[in-house]
Amino acid sequence: MAVAATRRAGRGIGLIALLLALPLVVVLTAPLHTAAPHWAHVLEHQLWDQLGETLALLGITLALSLLFAVPSAWLVATRDFPGRRILGWALVLPLAMPTYIAAFLYAALLGPTGVLSRWLGEHLGWRPDIMDLPGLGLVLALVLYPYIYLPARAAFRMGMGLELDAARTLGARGLRRFGRVALPLARPAIAAGALLVAMETLNDYGAVKYYGIRTLTTGIFRSWSGLYDLGSALRLSLVLLALVGVLLGLERLTRRDVRQGTAQVAATRAPLTGPWRWLAPLLLVLLWTLAAGLPLGRMLADVTSTTVTVSWKELLPAIGHTGQVAVAAAMFTLVVALLFAYRQRYGNPNDPAIRLAALGYTVPGAVIAIGVMTLAGIPDRAGWLPFALIGSLPLLTYAFALRFLAVGLGPLEGGLRLQRPELDQAARTLGARPFRAFLRVNLPLLRPALLAAATLVAIDVIKELPLTLILRPFNFDTLSTKAYELARIEQLREASWPALLIVAAGLLPVLLLERMAGRK
Amino acid sequence: MKQLLPLLTATLLLGACGGNERPATTPEPEPAAVNVYSHRHYDTDKALFERFTQETGIPVNLVMADDDEVLARLEQEGASSPCDLLITSDAGRLGLAAERGLLQPSGDAGLDALVPAHLRDGQGRWYALTMRARVVAYHKDKVDPATIATYDDLTRPDWKGRLLVRSSANIYNQSLVSALVAHEGREKALAWCQGIVANMAREPKGGDTDQMLALAEGQGDVAIVNSYYAGKLLTSDEPEKQAAAQVIGIVFPSLGTHGTHVNVSGAGLAAHAPHKPEALKLLHFLLGTEAQAAFAEGNKEYPVRAGVPVAPVLQGFGELVPDSLPLEELARNNATAVMVMEEAGWR
Repeated sequence: MAVAATRRAGRGIGLIALLLALPLVVVLTAPLHTAAPHWAHVLEHQLWDQLGETLALLGITLALSLLFAVPSAWLVATRDFPGRRILGWALVLPLAMPTYIAAFLYAALLGPTGVLSRWLGEHLGWRPDIMDLPGLGLVLALVLYPYIYLPARAAFRMGMGLELDAARTLGARGLRRFGRVALPLARPAIAAGALLVAMETLNDYGAVKYYGIRTLTTGIFRSWSGLYDLGSALRLSLVLLALVGVLLGLERLTRRDVRQGTAQVAATRAPLTGPWRWLAPLLLVLLWTLAAGLPLGRMLADVTSTTVTVSWKELLPAIGHTGQVAVAAAMFTLVVALLFAYRQRYGNPNDPAIRLAALGYTVPGAVIAIGVMTLAGIPDRAGWLPFALIGSLPLLTYAFALRFLAVGLGPLEGGLRLQRPELDQAARTLGARPFRAFLRVNLPLLRPALLAAATLVAIDVIKELPLTLILRPFNFDTLSTKAYELARIEQLREASWPALLIVAAGLLPVLLLERMAGRK
Repeated sequence: MKQLLPLLTATLLLGACGGNERPATTPEPEPAAVNVYSHRHYDTDKALFERFTQETGIPVNLVMADDDEVLARLEQEGASSPCDLLITSDAGRLGLAAERGLLQPSGDAGLDALVPAHLRDGQGRWYALTMRARVVAYHKDKVDPATIATYDDLTRPDWKGRLLVRSSANIYNQSLVSALVAHEGREKALAWCQGIVANMAREPKGGDTDQMLALAEGQGDVAIVNSYYAGKLLTSDEPEKQAAAQVIGIVFPSLGTHGTHVNVSGAGLAAHAPHKPEALKLLHFLLGTEAQAAFAEGNKEYPVRAGVPVAPVLQGFGELVPDSLPLEELARNNATAVMVMEEAGWR
């Protein structure tokens, strides 16, 4: 009886996953239902160049993100030095910066006619130009590294305390403990973060287009808007998804034969000594200055400039709308992600529908919008519902859940992995049904992960652009649509106000997260 | 399952609550309101819509998004679409929308009389509101503008390494090549693109404004840009742009003997417009002299109505003689244009 009920619940959740993934099915089945008149041209003149540039950009962005994130997470989590507390959370800040805004800001500073480029040219005779492929990789890494920094820091801090202390007792020095003990244990957390960085890099459109780089995502839009060929655009999305499939496989490899750390025991923080006591914080401050200080400074200079006018009449409602969609989408996504996490824990750990839905994070928002509208158009045109789905907030919320499921699910999966299976077995032996066991035993332990998931989803929704732009109701501006509208007509200084507010809005959940982490 | 139900209910409620708590944002089919899908993101437009509401009492509801997504949304909404008026900033997309049955003939001869024939659809499905010309910005100290009479002149070998232009993903570059294909055929257009690529000062990057800033700093001597970005740069209050404006001159190249290439932003009546009379009223308003003057002065665009003054900064460029190619041709040749640009290696 209980078993049958559980199985039904499991199937119910599977159905939800399928319902969520349906727009992606539209994309995946494109060759069956959408003709691609110019596919031969795309194959000959676009695909291989785009694939090459995509891989190059991915490689550079990932390498630099890891370089920025992992050592700083290690220092902040396990060593003590002046300014550690402030740097600890300040380094999360770039997370709140949309990539396309960052791209514009860095170009204004370090592009061919950038203020800093010109200054450096005049004073040092070296005139940098950040607007090329490696430069874009650097820009993306500077705003995306917190996706690795956050989980890595959590792993270093909470996931391996006993091992690190044991290694210290056995006489291992800092670097050796990092290389031989910490890195192997933190590998899955770092890989999960790196996967998010990769996905963000792959689906970026605004930054890549502005820098004149040709990635698969720009190809999708080229085909769609230039060749009037949606079929080819969807086929390119398939190639993108295949690439993500490879990345997912790689990420799983990193989890193979990984040793389980001692969860929830913090390592002792040893003070840094010698020159590193000052060198370490100096390097971190340098990283922060590059990643957050420069763009923030530029935005502040813009908004305080007297010639920049700001329309609060438009910005205030946009702030309200932003909060509204962020909260609704974060809660909805989290509930769905929790159900999926439950299914993976107590039912099918490899439910293909859940895996599929999680791919929504990789696909450019505009392509997801096509899938979502194709489906929602059916009841809309038939008039089956009392209100139209397209242009309604429920549909937008649903689209966000598909787009950001991976962001919500990732921390939950990571958190559950730290809970040993003996825990579930004990609860079940004491007579609790699976769902009750999940609610009463697993869920309370999952609180930090839940909070992290909600924060990340909320920040992503605040930054999100294409889905909001096309699926929104009438007269519904958000901060990101305002920033985009101004930026695309090349009024970059005016765009600084909404952009700054996006960062501020993202700061709120970041601070909340930090407080919770600090209380632990 | 029993325990699942409350969770599910809560979830659904959460998803739905956002939609219900703001009835103002889901427009009812009230008698007086115009629903607009627009790709134009300008303050001038919003001010004009407010002015229209003041004058007529008809509120304007607005969704602003990119052209292609807007067309996709219209297509999927079909007959249930609340959209009355579609506004885009590319004639190609207007033509595409008409071809896909997303627009309907206005049936309003009064509108036809306001807009020159080549700037509107033959069946009255869309009308240009404003023109933007693809002009050439040049460095006053280094270039004699008389050497740039046609777009072809830009492919001469003496411009090698001196030409600035943005990527082929840009719609205005696409529509320029599209016009070239329409006038002179695919082969000629390909040769032209190859000539442009051979003369580029650097890989295409940035927007039109960036090309002009680079020009002012000596990273190139000529740049292909949009007239309204040029107008905005030259009237900017930012010191950096003011400095650039000092050395930049503008010239109107001709497409062969046909005149300067123009693209437009324009509006069309949605195929299933629930508020047709109000939408036509708004269209008349946007083509009225007051709105046309606002587009011209506020946004540095060329009005489509005769007799409306062009912004002083644009007058300073000289007189625009627009190519009279029917703009419907742009939609027809856009895909070919993109293919030609890619074959030529225009990034």
